[in-house]
Amino acid sequence: MANLKDIQRQIKSVSNTQKTTRAMKLVSTAKLRRAEELASRSRLYAQKMNQVIAEIAGRIECAKVGGIDNRCFHKIESPKMVDIVFVTADKGLCGGFNIQTIKAVSKLIKEYKAQNVKVRLRGIGKKGVEFFKYNEVELFDAVIDLSSKPEKTRSDSFIRTSILDFKDGKIDALHIIYNGYKNMLTQELHINNILPIDTTKFECSEETDRSMLEIEAQNEENMLDSLVNKYVDYNLYYALIDSVAAEHSARMQAMDTATNNAKEMVKSLNVEFNKARQAAITTELIEIISGVESMK
Amino acid sequence: METFRLEILTPNGEIYNGSALSVVLPGEEGEFGVLAHHSSLTTLLTSGVVDVEKEDRCVESIVINWGVVQVDEKKVIILVEGAAPIRGENEAEIAKALEDAKMFIKDIADSSSAIASVSAKIESAAQKLI
Repeated sequence: MANLKDIQRQIKSVSNTQKTTRAMKLVSTAKLRRAEELASRSRLYAQKMNQVIAEIAGRIECAKVGGIDNRCFHKIESPKMVDIVFVTADKGLCGGFNIQTIKAVSKLIKEYKAQNVKVRLRGIGKKGVEFFKYNEVELFDAVIDLSSKPEKTRSDSFIRTSILDFKDGKIDALHIIYNGYKNMLTQELHINNILPIDTTKFECSEETDRSMLEIEAQNEENMLDSLVNKYVDYNLYYALIDSVAAEHSARMQAMDTATNNAKEMVKSLNVEFNKARQAAITTELIEIISGVESMK
Repeated sequence: METFRLEILTPNGEIYNGSALSVVLPGEEGEFGVLAHHSSLTTLLTSGVVDVEKEDRCVESIVINWGVVQVDEKKVIILVEGAAPIRGENEAEIAKALEDAKMFIKDIADSSSAIASVSAKIESAAQKLI
């Protein structure tokens, strides 16, 4: 049986850990509330933006509006090079939050490699970047500390390279992978195919064919161009803020579990301590009694 | 007069969601008005003032910086990047909203004439409210 002092030391250490995890849980809960509010306010805008873009793309596809040779609105057969942008957290201790994204990215890379498509990996967030560096997967570029503090201007300038390269034909697709917020308890992995714009969601019908897409004719290209820029910019920014909310909810949960586990551990250590103490007392008593007996 | 559904959304949330009689928008090619049953149209908006005529014929003005509008027969969706609505319960609130809108327009407009024209518009909108 372990030494009484050893057990005491262990109990102290575990309960200290428990204090830390509980504090981290409280911090995450407070941060989550703010992040979740920001994400939920932006959600509607992001959804509508995607809807508007999908509808335009769908109408271009269905109604075969001529003269629009913007690359973003047309399917690209047999891509040669694709951009994968992933968003992970800068910090750990949030359960499987980061590893889920990393696994999805690795899977996608493998799929593309099997098709002989080159992948350009662009990372946001320390954890993901470190993982791929450690595993010697080449990263085209990486940003750290953007995922914990999303800033519109920085995320815009980051994604600008991908937009320009897509328009120039250097890359043929753009994916954004991140772990998003679903509710307090669950996160949802998103693999968004940003470019070229997905037209499958929009159903062609006679009505849509009839109600032609009318874009101001004079600067049609300009309009679609700046709309696509805003669409991609906002998609990344939304991914960042959604990911922050998800990160905090994942951490909150992980820390809650850790606190509970520590509680259980303290409980079982206490039982062990009491047993050891009782054993020590019993031995002492036996020693005294046998001492007295021998004196008789 | 018939009404149509109007939604104005910003990244920070919804600022208008309801029915309207008409809406005047600052298009890139110039201002244009939309009534119910307008044919479908998608276009960009530039910095300026959106005038919404509500069901009770009150006009609400909203200053915007950049936006895109999607009009179809049943509804109008306006997505804007930043907006400052001019509204309020009393004079003090309206005055504050006006100040905010002026600050907002100074940050976004690049020429002084644009600032002047938008400022004049929001001034008159606020006057009507008071």
